[in-house]
Amino acid sequence: MTARPLVHKTVMPGLGLSAGITLTMLSIVVLLPIGALLLKGAGFGLSNVLEVVGRERVMASLYLSFKLALLAALFNLVFGVLLAWVLVRYRFPGKRLLDAAVDLPFALPTAVAGIALTALYAPNGAFGSLFQQIGMKIAYTQAGIFIALVFVGLPFVTRTVQPVIEEIDREVEEASATLGASRLHTLRHVILPMLTPAALTGFALALARAVGEYGSVIFIAGNIPLRTEIAPLLIVIQLEEFNYDAAAAIGIAMLVISFAMLLAINLIQIVSRRKMGHV
Amino acid sequence: MSDTTLPTFRAATEEAPFLRIALIGIAVAGLAVLVFAPLAVVFGEALREGWLAAVESLGHRDARSAIWLTLTITAIAVPLNAAFGIAAAWFITKFDFRGKAFLITLIDLPFSVSPVVAGLCIVLLFGANSAIGGWMVAQGWPIVFAIPGIVLATVFVTFPFVARELIPVMIEQGRAEEEAALTLGASGWRTFRTVTLPNIRWALLYGTLLCTARAMGEFGAVAVVSGKIRGQTATMPITIEMLYNEYLSVAAFSMAALLTALALVTLLLKTLLELRHADQLAAIRRH
Repeated sequence: MTARPLVHKTVMPGLGLSAGITLTMLSIVVLLPIGALLLKGAGFGLSNVLEVVGRERVMASLYLSFKLALLAALFNLVFGVLLAWVLVRYRFPGKRLLDAAVDLPFALPTAVAGIALTALYAPNGAFGSLFQQIGMKIAYTQAGIFIALVFVGLPFVTRTVQPVIEEIDREVEEASATLGASRLHTLRHVILPMLTPAALTGFALALARAVGEYGSVIFIAGNIPLRTEIAPLLIVIQLEEFNYDAAAAIGIAMLVISFAMLLAINLIQIVSRRKMGHV
Repeated sequence: MSDTTLPTFRAATEEAPFLRIALIGIAVAGLAVLVFAPLAVVFGEALREGWLAAVESLGHRDARSAIWLTLTITAIAVPLNAAFGIAAAWFITKFDFRGKAFLITLIDLPFSVSPVVAGLCIVLLFGANSAIGGWMVAQGWPIVFAIPGIVLATVFVTFPFVARELIPVMIEQGRAEEEAALTLGASGWRTFRTVTLPNIRWALLYGTLLCTARAMGEFGAVAVVSGKIRGQTATMPITIEMLYNEYLSVAAFSMAALLTALALVTLLLKTLLELRHADQLAAIRRH
């Protein structure tokens, strides 16, 4: 038995060049900086890292970031699937504009989104004043952070689910209808299971994005410690006070959680692909 | 008998009209509130005191230097990422090697790292307190709180964009065409230029567009590494934050409107690409 070679032989040129550029840039831009963070954490010591992460203000910010990111991703899961369905299956005037608008949160700089949402939902803003009449405050509360996170995560689910809906075989729906299922029953028991894997992938992507989001949140959040202070902001605050160790500790906590989510995304993809038998 | 009307025909694979209208209504209303309203506010706030005030604020010395800086950073970061994307896609799709899936995961990593954490990593590796950063400062080439750091941060957050678009397209096109060209005696470069590049150009343009939009607008990672020095390391998004915090609303929203206009142009080009070259770009969605 011979060991598998590291690289299979081929006539294709450019192995050294393409591998060289890829690995060099990956190292300088991504791996070494992340390594520096982990090294800083190791130098600081595990018990110290845990002590920083366990502080009330840090725990509160991590909890807030994850709670609101989860809620926003859940909202986007439901709304994103609905939006994808409407954009693929129905015909109505302005559909193309709507389809293009879904990508706006990807294209719009987060700082711009942040100040625009704040202007909208501040007590004197267009929507904020409406909410104030019913005694609700949106900007500078957790509700404001939620709205900002919904905004940045909006496109993910729609964009992962749309191609799946496009490829659904209408015959499956016809078969279901022929067998006497009502339309709602078909939607729930035939269509929805087909969309679930892609929708979950989009959900995980939106979640990962929302957890780390900074630019669109800090303007609308009000940034009150223990109440509306997100984890990335706490890192920035530590850095501004030159507390590199504490910043690294919080950064590592976020990184570990992000890794766990990346793993979850990959697992979901593997499981969903096996279940569907193709894709 | 003649006045009985037949029930309107509805295919079994369609929802009842009221449900359809309700769903369209929710979609339109949702996007109106979530996307169109913020868009309108940006331009509305920018023009609150008229065109003149908006344009004048963009002509300010610090504003001009911010615009120039953002364009410079984008002009450096995007080609770097395009070069990386092409190299990585070539390496991954033209060769079989161990650890390919792991490599792809590493390339995608920046998507699941918070931009602020990305900035923090760069500060820790290249900041004045680190070994590398300290040495570079001694040579008169500071990285953090200077342009190289901003470029690094921008490249980090946009790292997977081009590679992600190219890899699925190149997987679908396979290697046969390149192999034929090579067998016929074409050099590697010639094969790439005349066979591969025409096959991937629209996907490359697509990825580059997405990368450009993100590069111009990156805030979190840049905020950490830039040091926010007015006229020197303050990019457009950073300047928006500074102006906003100084209650210079019109100036902040004018710069935001300019960035938004650039984002809309990107979106328009992207939509056009999707319409014109749907076949090549379809591969991206399939994977």
